[in-house]
Amino acid sequence: MSTIADIAGLLGPRLSTGASVRDQHGRNEAHYPPAPPDAVAFPETADEVAAIVRACAAHGTPLTAFGTGTSLEGQHLPVRGGISLDLSRMDRVLAINTEDLNAVVQPGVTRTRLNADLRGTGLFFPVDPGADASLGGMAATRASGTTAVRYGTMRENVLALQAVMADGSIIRTGSQARKSSAGYDLTHLLVGSEGTLGIITELTVRLHPLPEAVAAATCRFATVEDAVTCVIAVIQSAIPMARIELVDEMMVRGFNLHSGTDLPEKPHLFLEFHGSPTGVGEQAAAFREIAGEFGADGWQDATTTEARSALWAMRHNAHYATGALEPGKRTLATDVCVPISKLAEAVVQAQQDAAAMGLTSAIVGHVGDGNFHCGVRVNPDDAEEMARVMDFSGRLAETALRLGGTVTGEHGVGLGKRKYMAAEHGPALAWMRAVKAAFDPLGILNPGKMLPPEG
Amino acid sequence: MSVPAEALTALGEILGDRLSRSKSDLDLHGQSETWFPAAPPDAVAYPRTTDEVAAIVRLCAAHGCPMVGWGVGTSLEGHALAVRGGICVDFSRMNRVLAVHPEDMDVVVQPGVTREDLNADLRATGLFFPVDPGANATLGGMASTRASGTTAVRYGTMRDNVLGLQVVLADGRVIRTGTRARKSAAGYDLTGLFVGAEGTLGLITELTLKLYGQPEAISAAVCAFDAIGPAVDTVIQTIQMGIPMARIEFVDAATAAAVNAYAGARFPEKPHLLVEFHGSPSGVAEQAEAFGEIVADNSGAGFEWSSRPEERTALWTMRHNAYYACLAARPGATALVTDLCVPISRLAEAVEETRADIAASYIPGPILGHVGDGNFHAILLVDPRNPVELAEAKRLSHRMVERALRLGGTVTGEHGIGMGKLGYMEAEHGEAWDVMGQIKRALDPQGLMNPGKLVRGD
Repeated sequence: MSTIADIAGLLGPRLSTGASVRDQHGRNEAHYPPAPPDAVAFPETADEVAAIVRACAAHGTPLTAFGTGTSLEGQHLPVRGGISLDLSRMDRVLAINTEDLNAVVQPGVTRTRLNADLRGTGLFFPVDPGADASLGGMAATRASGTTAVRYGTMRENVLALQAVMADGSIIRTGSQARKSSAGYDLTHLLVGSEGTLGIITELTVRLHPLPEAVAAATCRFATVEDAVTCVIAVIQSAIPMARIELVDEMMVRGFNLHSGTDLPEKPHLFLEFHGSPTGVGEQAAAFREIAGEFGADGWQDATTTEARSALWAMRHNAHYATGALEPGKRTLATDVCVPISKLAEAVVQAQQDAAAMGLTSAIVGHVGDGNFHCGVRVNPDDAEEMARVMDFSGRLAETALRLGGTVTGEHGVGLGKRKYMAAEHGPALAWMRAVKAAFDPLGILNPGKMLPPEG
Repeated sequence: MSVPAEALTALGEILGDRLSRSKSDLDLHGQSETWFPAAPPDAVAYPRTTDEVAAIVRLCAAHGCPMVGWGVGTSLEGHALAVRGGICVDFSRMNRVLAVHPEDMDVVVQPGVTREDLNADLRATGLFFPVDPGANATLGGMASTRASGTTAVRYGTMRDNVLGLQVVLADGRVIRTGTRARKSAAGYDLTGLFVGAEGTLGLITELTLKLYGQPEAISAAVCAFDAIGPAVDTVIQTIQMGIPMARIEFVDAATAAAVNAYAGARFPEKPHLLVEFHGSPSGVAEQAEAFGEIVADNSGAGFEWSSRPEERTALWTMRHNAYYACLAARPGATALVTDLCVPISRLAEAVEETRADIAASYIPGPILGHVGDGNFHAILLVDPRNPVELAEAKRLSHRMVERALRLGGTVTGEHGIGMGKLGYMEAEHGEAWDVMGQIKRALDPQGLMNPGKLVRGD
C-alpha cells in the first residue's frame, strides 16, 4: 500500500514492516485477539507525526497511536490494520518549570521516567495507574489510580497539549496559565479521546510538591459495608486522604498466598496520608477514631519507608496475587465506578455474582473515588468459561449504571466497553459521534474504538 | 426583528405570561455590567422545566431565531447580550435544588440557583460549594463562563467542580453528560465541553456539582511588601512547600489606599497578600505560622494571623471592601475590569508592567488578583460618558492582553470571552480556534445558540 511507501520516504528505517515489530504492536495485556498493524512508524517530532497523518489521510489508511502497550481495553490495537504510530522515540522531558509547578513532556515519556527526572526538584507527578505507562497514553485514556482521591486523574493534571489533527494540522490547546476561560476546553476533549480525535504530541502536566511527611496504615473491618461507610465518614470530615484502597476477603487470601503473609481474611483498607509531620499524625489519629466507630480492627502503622514500600508493593502486586488464587489462568480486570454511597452495594453484588457464577474474583478498589476492579481468573481458551466471565462483566456494568455510575472509571472504552456506550450516554452518544465526525471526517484515527458501530 | 410573529405566538402558547415583550424586560436583559452597548432581545422567556426549554429551542430552531441564556446578568464580558436579537432564555424560575447527596458529596441543581442560595441550603449538611466569583451568580452562568474566584487555588474552578450536566442542544434534544461517579474514562468529556462554552453549544438545564466538607477550622493572615516581586516569591515558595492555601489574594498599593479612604482603615499603602487556610485547628495554626516564616524570608512586614472569626474578618477587610472601595475612589465612574492569567513565574513581571502602564495613564486602575493561580484584574475607572476615557481604558486592557499572551498566559482567567475578548481568540489559539469552529458547526449547524460569540464570525 502506498501509505507505507510515503511514510518510508519520510522516516527511512524508522518505518518497520518486520513481522516481530508488527506482532509486538498487535498484542495487548488483556484478552483481545492479536491485531497487528501493516507497519509501525517511529516518529521523532510533531512535524513527522503531522506528515504521517497527512499520508494516512491521503490514502484513507487507519492510524493508531501506541505508547507502551499497557492499555487494558485494547485501545492501541490496530483492529483495522494500517499504521501503528509508536511514540516511544518522542520521550524527552522538554522543560521542568519548578516555579510554575509544571513539566512539558513528549508523549512517550513514562510516568516513572518523569518522576526520576524530577528528583531533586522537590516536586512529583502523582498520577499512578500501576503500569509504567507513557504520559501520552495516560492522557489519551484519562488514566488515574491510587492517588486520584487526593491529586485527581489525568483530567485534572493535564494543563495543555500539542496535538496533530486528522488533517495534519498541529494545534496547541491550553496554556501554561493554571486556569483559563478562553473558549472551548479542547485540552479536556482530547484527554480521554483514546487517539480518536487527534494525536497528542506534547503535554504540559501539573506537578505537586513532595509531601514533607508520609504515613501509611492498614486496618480491617467485619464487612465491606463497614469499610465503605467508614470511608464516606472520613471523606466528609475533610481528612485529606492521599490513598485509600479497599481490598476484599478474596484479595487478602491472594496476598497471603502470594506474599506468605497471614492477614485475617476480612475486608481491609490500605491508607496513606501526606502532609507535615504533625499533620499526618493528626490525620491518622482522626482516621483511626472514625474507623473505630465502624468496628475497625487490627490497625497497623507503616511509618518507616520500608514498611510503607512493603505495604504498597503488596497492593501493587494484586494482579499477581490474584493469580495465586487459581494458578494457570489469566486475570481479566473489570473497572466500574459508582457514587460512593452505592459502593458497598456494588461490591457486594459483584461478590455474590462471582460466587453464583462459579468464578474466582478478587476485588481491589480506589474506594475514595467509588472505583473498583474485580480481577477474575479465566482460561481464555475455555469458551464456556470466557462466556461466563463476559456475562459477569456485563452484569457489573449494568449494576454500575443502575447505581448512577459509569462503566469505566479509569481503563477507558477501547474495544471492550463500546457495547455499553449507548446505555451509559443515551442521546449524548449521538453528539459524541458528531464531535468525532467533525474532527475526523475520514475516520482514520483509531477506527473501531470507543464509539460502537451505528444502528 | 429576528423573531417572526408566528414564533412569538407559538412561544406565547407554551409559556403564557412567562413570555415577556415588555420594554422594561427587554431593556433589562439587554444590559451588561460593563461598557458594552445595550443589545436587547426580541422577547424574554421564563421556562420552569427542561421540557419547556426544549420546546423553546425547537421553536426557535424551526424559525431560525437566536437564543441566549440568562442567569442573573453579572457576567463581565457581555456574554448574555442578544447581539443578533432573538429569545433570551431567563433561567430565574428554574432555581430549585433538586437533590443533595451528603454521602456522595454532590448536589443536583437547576441552572437558576445562585451560589449563595445553594450554600444557604447546604448549611445544615456540613458541606459547602466553594467556587466564589464574588458576584452572587447563578450556577448555570458560572458553569457557562467557567467561573472561578478566590478559592480556585484550593478547590478548583467550575471545570473541576461540575460532575455532570443536562443540556438542551440546538435541535431541542435533551442530553445528560457525566454521571454521579467521581471519575469516568467513558468517552469524550462532553461535560467539560459545555462548561465554558458560554451557551454557544446548548443551554444547561441541570448541573451536578461537587461539594466539600466545611473545614473544621479557618485561619487568615495579612502582610505587606515593598514590591510585588517578593509577594509573588512568597506565594511560589508557599505552593512549593505544599502548604495548602484555601485563598491567596494580592492587592496593590492603590487598592490599599482606596480601602483606607473607603473603610477608614490604616493599612500601609503597599502591596499586600491576604491568605486563608482551611483544616484542623492545629493544622491551620501550623500553616499560618509556616507562611509567616516565608513572609519574613521575603522581607514582608506587618504579618498577622488569626483563627478567630471576627479577627479573620478584620484581617480580610481590605479584600472584602476592595471592589467597592475602588469604585468609590472615583465617584460616578464605571469599572472596566480586566482579567488575565499568566504562569505564576511571570506574574510579578505582568503586574509590574501593568502597574507602570496604568501609572503612565491618567485613568486610575487598582490591581488585585488571585495570585495563587497567576490571575489578576485591573479595575480601570472611567467616566462612562467620556469616549476618550473609554478608549484609553481599552488601550490599557489591550496591552494587558498582549502581555498575557507574550508571557505564555491566557487572555481571560475567569471572566470568559463574551464580546470583550472575541478579538483575541485567534491570537491565543491559532489553528485551535478553527477546531472550536468545527465543534460549533457540528453541534449547532444553524448557528442559533448565542450567535456572535466565542467562535469566528461568518
